[in-house]
Amino acid sequence: MLIEILQQTINGLAIGGVYVLIALGLTTVFGILGIAHFAHGSVSMFGGYLTFFLVTSQGLPVLAAIPIALVAGFVLGLLIEIVAYRPVRHANHINAFIVALGLTMMVEGINLQLFGHEQIVIPTGLSKVFRLGGVTVPELRIYVIIAAIVLVAAMMLFVERTKTGQAIRAVAENRDAAILMGVNVNSIPLIVFGISTSLGVAAGIMVGALFAIAPGIGEGFVVKGFAVLILGGLGSFPGAILGGTVLGITESIAAGFISSAYKDVIAFVVMILVLLIRPQGLLGRSP
Amino acid sequence: MLALRDLRVNYGAIEVVHGISLDVAAGECVALIGANGAGKSSTLKAICGLVPVGSGSVQFEGRDITNASGHAIVRAGITMCPEGRQVFPQMSVIQNLRMGAYTRTDKDQDADLGRMMDMFPILRERQTQAAGKLSGGEQEMLAIARALMARPRICLFDEPSLGLAPKIVASVFETLAQIKAMGMTILLVEQNSMMALNLADRAYLFEAGRIVMEGPAKELKSHPDVMRAYLGH
Ligand SMILES: Nc1ncnc2c1ncn2[C@@H]1O[C@H](COP(=O)(O)OP(=O)(O)OP(=O)(O)O)[C@@H](O)[C@H]1O
Ligand SMILES: [Mg+2]
Repeated sequence: MLIEILQQTINGLAIGGVYVLIALGLTTVFGILGIAHFAHGSVSMFGGYLTFFLVTSQGLPVLAAIPIALVAGFVLGLLIEIVAYRPVRHANHINAFIVALGLTMMVEGINLQLFGHEQIVIPTGLSKVFRLGGVTVPELRIYVIIAAIVLVAAMMLFVERTKTGQAIRAVAENRDAAILMGVNVNSIPLIVFGISTSLGVAAGIMVGALFAIAPGIGEGFVVKGFAVLILGGLGSFPGAILGGTVLGITESIAAGFISSAYKDVIAFVVMILVLLIRPQGLLGRSP
Repeated sequence: MLALRDLRVNYGAIEVVHGISLDVAAGECVALIGANGAGKSSTLKAICGLVPVGSGSVQFEGRDITNASGHAIVRAGITMCPEGRQVFPQMSVIQNLRMGAYTRTDKDQDADLGRMMDMFPILRERQTQAAGKLSGGEQEMLAIARALMARPRICLFDEPSLGLAPKIVASVFETLAQIKAMGMTILLVEQNSMMALNLADRAYLFEAGRIVMEGPAKELKSHPDVMRAYLGH
């Protein structure tokens, strides 16, 4: 029993890391622009597909393909900001909402055209399995957890310790005051989209390596990403981290003890229960 | 140093500043007084690039900055301490102060941080607290210190005494006097006309988007119309 819980917790940490990476991107974009960037999941999976393509068709080693995909993600983020969201920046919020939905369909379509409808798995060649006590841990899962921790820590350091990171927070908290500090509020959304998309691509690669990518998977992840934001508390970084981890572990334990068919249901039931007790989310501020 | 010429500001179809001209010389403290809704804040926002200038011009140190972007105006040397303080509520006091120095790249930022906390000991005490948790008076001190962290060449203050208890208002004005004594050029908007006129060298009286009177602060203070309407005599 204890061992089984431990086992599922470790499984849950890996998928939780994916949720956290997606949620961090969503929460920063939401904080700055107030838009629900639905296309984020599909764009993230594009990154996974791209890595698969670079490895299988171009023969690149995984460790070379990943940085290329991350950089491509950054550039893609810039393009999305400029081409899709910038034109509706001063318009009603419903416009950005529709752009987000349209972009989702478009990116899903592009993924389908370029990479087909077959599910793909990024071949990593990491097949070792560690056994600690009764718990089995595939080495890939450990690397995914470590990578997620490193990326989240890097993001936190960037936001808390650099001027640009602080400017991102400042714009989210009070846009006019940020302008009065000399922040260029035209370039901040660019940086935010670049970084968020890069983190999303990292998540897409993890999904592609741990599980599989197929059409529609990205949309599932973006819904989970928003669930994490609400669970953790909208606009809270620590909330997104805690929320993603909790959701990942809950899902895993549910899948292990009840049935993997019910894991989403149980995850959302937990979310609803948390919100009944703490409407502002786990780490959100009370209104 | 700062010169507005025939400045007009509108929100959509509604014009709220109807062609005003005013000057602030280097080292001067100039007050803008007038009733609610007269267009004082709109004027300051237009100078800072927060709202667009409809027509007319804003000159700063001989350069035309009309409708320049807000961040470029800050870099030119104009900083505003805005109405209602506008601190970053979830960022700590220190982080707020550092944001004030956002455009700076020099090595003296830490030293200035120390200076600000010497000037406002309460900020040192509260340095790691979220700014939103401070009292109104403390937030005003933070907003003033944050503005000074930019090392501006001119500092605009929009109603620094708004909503504060009389004792705190007095200390805000003491602080402004201290900043003036340091040689800072100041453009001050205030509803508290008496305090503002006591502090300022010159003043402009706003009424419904127009300047209806201007002159040395002492003269405005003793002008019968001003005394009746704004000083409560
Ligand atoms: N964002 C806005 N949109 C539309 N009208 C506005 C906006 N901001 C201000 N106004 C209007 O412009 C006029 C001038 O407002 P402004 O804030 O400049 O006055 P003020 O002199 O600063 O007044 P107060 O002493 O109350 O701060 C007012 O009639 C106000 O209702
Ligand atoms: Mg005002």
